[in-house]
Amino acid sequence: MAGTFAFKAGSTAVPMISDVAFAELLNDPYPTFKRARDMAPIVRIEAAKIMVATRYDDIVAMERDPETFSSENPQSLVNKVMGHTMMRKDGEAHQRERRAIDPSLRPGAVKSCWGPKLEAVFEDIVARFERDGEADLFQALAAPMAGRALAEVLGFQDVDWQTMAFWSQSLIDGAGNYSGDPEISRKAVEAARGVEDAIDRALPYHRANPNTSVLSSMIHAEDPHEIDQIYANIKVAVGGGLNEPRDSILTLILGLLQNPDQLERVKANPNLWPVAFEEAVRWTSPIGMYPRRVTRDIVFSGVQLRAGDQVGLCVGAANRDGSRFEDPDRFDVFREKKSHLAFGAGAHFCAGTWVSRHMVGRLVVPRLFERLPNLRLKDPDAVRIQGWVFRGPVTLPVVWGA
Amino acid sequence: MPKITFALPDGKERTCSANEGLSLMEVALQNALPGIIAECNGSAACATCHVIVEDALAAMLDPISEHENDMLEFTAAARQPGSRLSCQIRVDDRLDGAIVRIPAEA
Repeated sequence: MAGTFAFKAGSTAVPMISDVAFAELLNDPYPTFKRARDMAPIVRIEAAKIMVATRYDDIVAMERDPETFSSENPQSLVNKVMGHTMMRKDGEAHQRERRAIDPSLRPGAVKSCWGPKLEAVFEDIVARFERDGEADLFQALAAPMAGRALAEVLGFQDVDWQTMAFWSQSLIDGAGNYSGDPEISRKAVEAARGVEDAIDRALPYHRANPNTSVLSSMIHAEDPHEIDQIYANIKVAVGGGLNEPRDSILTLILGLLQNPDQLERVKANPNLWPVAFEEAVRWTSPIGMYPRRVTRDIVFSGVQLRAGDQVGLCVGAANRDGSRFEDPDRFDVFREKKSHLAFGAGAHFCAGTWVSRHMVGRLVVPRLFERLPNLRLKDPDAVRIQGWVFRGPVTLPVVWGA
Repeated sequence: MPKITFALPDGKERTCSANEGLSLMEVALQNALPGIIAECNGSAACATCHVIVEDALAAMLDPISEHENDMLEFTAAARQPGSRLSCQIRVDDRLDGAIVRIPAEA
């Protein structure tokens, strides 16, 4: 294979994939993921300038050993853009902050508080376009739903979804700005300041009125957040809490519209909606990769890693690991039920899991199919899915009605 | 070292020596017992380490926290009176001889 180092049995060097362009990785990373998975436990993808783990069992093993595969990384751009967030802490330091926000996000809070609130948001959003007969569900539904839901759950009462979307994208771009592009840096700083201002405006209300929101939980916890922790952790929630519900709404709709036989069976048995949601995030995981830092020299799965190495845990690849999932590239609600890694694994298991399972899998997508009869793709060739670190449909034109 | 017997989803039993201080979930993982997935590795965030304990043991254990109680509504196999998340149970000598059931997925 041109430009690829062969991986010899018994070798401990990390092989490389150097003949894949970055644009290819963005458009469709799965052929590259499959090559990497077949090649070695850890492979360097030159276009992305990072070593990645792509096998299911390896990623689970790494996430069970946070002392060797640490979330801490003082050099991380995330820390520069957002501050020292809980996403980049391990052990007790992480646990303390995670415990403070959990009451806002656990299933009980979803049922009693977020369920009804998000339902009202959904109704308002759908009422704005349901008579149009056609829409791009990215702009019409998924982006506003994800942005407004995140503002609600965090406790921002005066921030519109467009601002949430701008902050989120700017913070993500800033955290990935390895080339130091000044315009990207400027936007990230502007977004970070915007989030801090919004927090400062919101805190007096939450101090006086304890409630279910994340901001309220942070300040009323037994072990409350300091202001810098609030700033950092709200920024990471803004950066990391918007794309995923947005993209998984669209991915679930797309998977079902491309497989009408499955859609009919799910509609006939609504108990299958949560299963369909899990299959959607396995099939096209909204977060495809996240990094860990190696803390000591170690031979992992036969590969020599050095202290200080960065390894990307490619859960998007692991969720299509053919040794675990049969015919893994296929969207199949009825496949054998097995756990996947779309929400990560280990101590950093997605804090928003239960809100998203409810919002996407029980509320937004099932209701949409009820509300818009005969919903179908406007042009199957116009669908575009993009990204490898974050991945989802970037446009989803649909029509409905007769 | 306490010995704990796990009644497995397929009806078989496995008796495991358990280090005090570990969680029941960690003991199950060490012994690669089927049915304990433990996606969140002990953070009580995923509900994939569901076990069912007998009444006598349930009465001895620390009470179920509000958070664990919420999570138990989302186990793959339906919740039962003795349902617990095994990551929330610490092994000590009171568990010596206990029988803990791992339910089959619904």
